[in-house]
Amino acid sequence: MTGLAALSGLMTASCGWKLGDVKASSTLSSAFDKLHLFTWTQYTDSKLLKNFSTQTGIKVLADVYDANEVMLAKLQASGGGTYSLIYPSDYMVEKMVNKQLLKQIDSQRLIGLDNLFPRFQNPEYDPNNSYSIPMSWGTTGFIYNSEKLTTAPQDWDYLWENQQKLSKRITLINDAREVIGGVLKMLGYSYNSQNESQIKQAYEKLQILKPDIAAFSTDAWRNQIMSGDLVLAMCYSSDAFQLTRENPKLKYITPKSGSSLWTDTIALPRTTSNIDGAYEWINFMLKPEVAARISQRLGIATPNRAGFELLPQEIQNNPTLFPPEEVLEKCERLTPVGEFEEVYGRYWTKLTSA
Amino acid sequence: MTTDIQTSQKIKPRKSGQNFFQSFALLAPAGIWLLLLLVLPTLIIIQLSFVPGIKPGDIVNPTTDFENYRRILDPLYLQVIKRSLLLALGTTAVCLFLGFPVSFWIARMVPKRWQNLLLLGFILPLWTSSLLRSYAWITILRPTGLLNTALAYLNLPTLGLLNSTQAVLIGMSYNLLPYMVLILYASLEKLDKRLLEAASDLGANSIQVFLKVTVPQIFPGIAAASMLVFITGLGDYINPELLGGASSMTAARLIYNQFLGAAQNWGFGSALSTVLILIVSLAIAFLIKFGDATPER
Repeated sequence: MTGLAALSGLMTASCGWKLGDVKASSTLSSAFDKLHLFTWTQYTDSKLLKNFSTQTGIKVLADVYDANEVMLAKLQASGGGTYSLIYPSDYMVEKMVNKQLLKQIDSQRLIGLDNLFPRFQNPEYDPNNSYSIPMSWGTTGFIYNSEKLTTAPQDWDYLWENQQKLSKRITLINDAREVIGGVLKMLGYSYNSQNESQIKQAYEKLQILKPDIAAFSTDAWRNQIMSGDLVLAMCYSSDAFQLTRENPKLKYITPKSGSSLWTDTIALPRTTSNIDGAYEWINFMLKPEVAARISQRLGIATPNRAGFELLPQEIQNNPTLFPPEEVLEKCERLTPVGEFEEVYGRYWTKLTSA
Repeated sequence: MTTDIQTSQKIKPRKSGQNFFQSFALLAPAGIWLLLLLVLPTLIIIQLSFVPGIKPGDIVNPTTDFENYRRILDPLYLQVIKRSLLLALGTTAVCLFLGFPVSFWIARMVPKRWQNLLLLGFILPLWTSSLLRSYAWITILRPTGLLNTALAYLNLPTLGLLNSTQAVLIGMSYNLLPYMVLILYASLEKLDKRLLEAASDLGANSIQVFLKVTVPQIFPGIAAASMLVFITGLGDYINPELLGGASSMTAARLIYNQFLGAAQNWGFGSALSTVLILIVSLAIAFLIKFGDATPER
């Protein structure tokens, strides 16, 4: 696909050509009866897809990813691909808007946008939700086995203090910004630092820990922490919620020095293959009862106030899914760092290659 | 080629124009396929490898900047390439060591009618997805997995193999062993028995027969099988990714991260790919030069 896309680029321009050019295909007629989702691993299940199909008659095909960058790269490499809807996180929405990869959302066609909590109605990453609709939010932290760890971890420094004991039984998320950002926060810097010497400090700290990290993984740790092979894993709160429900020995914390606060959204790629179906999907997801159902079943913190109010009391009060205000105060949102991203990439490659 | 066949089969020579058309018709489908999906993408990769820091959405201005290649010379990345080479070589050695006796046994010591069944049994794992086979190794090697449960039962010390380079070696060897056995079997099966008998008749002991008669005859088979395992092992992504954890970055994983990971440096990824393509081409050149030669002993 890349080759062919690039080929067309080679032919049209004699000297420079655009790599991974994303342009709307004019011939591809958008079939109304099929919707292609590109979403996070945990954000969909066959029940959700089936309910939507029975209500609307639209068949849904879901493809999943475990990192924003993978989604972006696949979208660009396939020149837009056939996806109707994508689920970028907040900072990725900003980045994709800058790259002109998203289609503006026509709020006239949405029903139930005012069901969202006020702070999600006009988020700083996407004013007035003009390109994205919030669908889930949460924090990044650690899930740990409270039976195997006698003292409960409170912050990142726990990892270095207990490095020997934790050796090869911990995993970190496979994401440069989250991992380096977490350590930056521990060192007292910002999650979004643009100071190379601070990044270098975080890298050097991580390099000490590296030999004892089992893997950098965003998803694969689940089974291993359930079986007891791992005792601690860095993870997203929505993933942790599911596991703590299944196994009460597992507990989730957000690091004391602060962590990242993220929002995952639904957005339309500029090349969306089924725009009418996409609006149907967004409106379906905005329904309070759907938001409440998936929140409960998939363990997603819903930004939908009407949906939140339908949830049982014990989920509303669950600190993993809906952390208290004092935790949120210390959290920071990841923001795009522009050209500086290259520095994060370079240190991340160095860290993971050693 | 064509003239050989024609003269040997005593077919009237055809007009060269018709001949050309026939060759073209026979080769065009595969040729176009290879041109579009192999040659052209490879050329694009080579072009990208000369553009520093290129990522999707950027304009590619063809240059010949060696910045990406200079970056590979960083000891860190040389170490990654060295690790990939050693893993591929190690896999080849393990496969040869385990595969040769098996092929020898099947080809030389088992009655003909059982041979196919045994071979079938050997390649049976290939009917499942390689991803599945690597996942199976996770279940075996993980700290509380099958292997450690068995070791603990026998009062032996347990091993922390998962997420290590050894685990990658195990997974890769397991995946590639059937290819080694199949190719070695093919060449051992064609072995001229009369030469072995003649050697023994002339007083050679079994070790001498093996080293001086058997091995030279099947050397092309050994070379071809080893090369196939080496090349496949060098580019393997699944086993290092699933079994290697944080500790075994290989060239294939590094390339993947440059294209789909946070780094998004397609230029550096392309340069790494080009280096890998060069290494593989070199290996194939060696195979053509030495693998096919009839032994002169």
